[in-house]
Amino acid sequence: MLGCQDFCGYYDWTFRYLRRKFGEQALKKYWAEAIASDSQAHYLASGEQAGLRGLYSSWSKSGEDEHCDWSVTLDEEKNVLRLDMHECPSKGFLLQNDLNSDEDYCDHCIGWIGPALTQIGVEVSGHEHNHCGQCWWEMRMVDTDSQPIAIEKDIRSDSRWKHGYLHSYVNHTKQPLVEGLSTTDSCELLQNWFHKAERIVVLGSDSAVGKNELVLRPDDAVIATGKHYALGATSGFDCRAVILEHEPDSLYEVANRYNNESGERPLLLYSYLPQKLRQAFLDNDLPRPLPILPMLIREGQYVHQPEKTAPTTVDFAKLLAHALGKPVVASARNLKEPQS
Amino acid sequence: MSAPDFYFAVNATARHINDAYGMESLIDYWRSLGEEFYQKRCEKWRTGGLAEIAEDWRQYFLQEPGAVVETSVDESAARLDIRVCPAIKHLRDSGREIVPYYCEHCDHTCGSMAETAGYRFSRTGGMGACQQVFTKAEDSEGN
Repeated sequence: MLGCQDFCGYYDWTFRYLRRKFGEQALKKYWAEAIASDSQAHYLASGEQAGLRGLYSSWSKSGEDEHCDWSVTLDEEKNVLRLDMHECPSKGFLLQNDLNSDEDYCDHCIGWIGPALTQIGVEVSGHEHNHCGQCWWEMRMVDTDSQPIAIEKDIRSDSRWKHGYLHSYVNHTKQPLVEGLSTTDSCELLQNWFHKAERIVVLGSDSAVGKNELVLRPDDAVIATGKHYALGATSGFDCRAVILEHEPDSLYEVANRYNNESGERPLLLYSYLPQKLRQAFLDNDLPRPLPILPMLIREGQYVHQPEKTAPTTVDFAKLLAHALGKPVVASARNLKEPQS
Repeated sequence: MSAPDFYFAVNATARHINDAYGMESLIDYWRSLGEEFYQKRCEKWRTGGLAEIAEDWRQYFLQEPGAVVETSVDESAARLDIRVCPAIKHLRDSGREIVPYYCEHCDHTCGSMAETAGYRFSRTGGMGACQQVFTKAEDSEGN
């Protein structure tokens, strides 16, 4: 039978199944119809009956059933229902069991909550999640003004909030992933970032042809590993992106170079494998890197196998080049500037 | 113990895939789930045999709230006597409309898991109580 003990695992797998069989829109339809209107119909019923207070009751019960470490705050006068998830048991199940079938498990919450609330005149006025089991939500009745409320345990003040990468929503609308760039989709952002590249050159240490010197072409885009970037191996030419190691031990040096770049900074990338999510990027004065797994999974370049050894950082860079549809030059240790 | 409301989603997912894409797609979904998501359990069944299958289900049902299940094994089969199916019970107790083909998920998901591991699966009964039997594939074929 399909039980509830491992539901979150095959729920994640189901998202991937629906995406690959029927496409992105089919998954959104599934969340809106099967989950919001059918599975979670009790939320709709209680929200319709008692507005934010009804939703508060439903979420409080779910929190008890699922043993959530969270706080739920209701202020009807100020028209705010606030959830602060400190340790999501659902995402936690995936992390604990090294599961990552779909490109973005956390999207399912806004995927069903958004359409459900719309049906009962409530909206998500603000929401963020860090893909590590922490998130916050603010909801309000759409026909009434709301006012800010004080939160005793704001998850954004918790040290765990520094982990992972953020997706942010304002009034049901997803916000750009990177400041200054309009896209809200990491795969689209990567396509745009590399669209001018004729080929990808990977600069990393586990090179098959690393002893050879490679002369860069003007339309090459270089992806360096964090270690090589930290060592200054990209000096003298444009490094388009830096892919950080699964266990990055040179973040201080990476940050030092990154924050002192005179030209355009490279895009920072990271795998965010389920067992390696919690890295100290912010503590080292680096922005949260962009995730690469969504792109690799979407393009069929990577299937996460629990407890199996993950590809190396260089291999991930090569998979990314394949996902981008670009030829990739086997990683080279010594690069020379493009010849004019 | 897990949250039984997840059974609502199992029921809703079956209804949605059937209504949107047809029964053939729903069967493919259930079978793929067995083969792909439960790959590790299948491997354990393959190496551990019928005793492993019975023990795996005994442990599994211990974690399902409200389940009343007896498991047994002999040299020819692993048997599950599901006296109270926790999913059907919770769906009924919660007043949910259960899709009439709900129990077929066991046929296809457990069936594909069994086949992957070199066994066959059969079910008699359903909608709250049933008997499930795993037998060696060659025995079922009369070889």
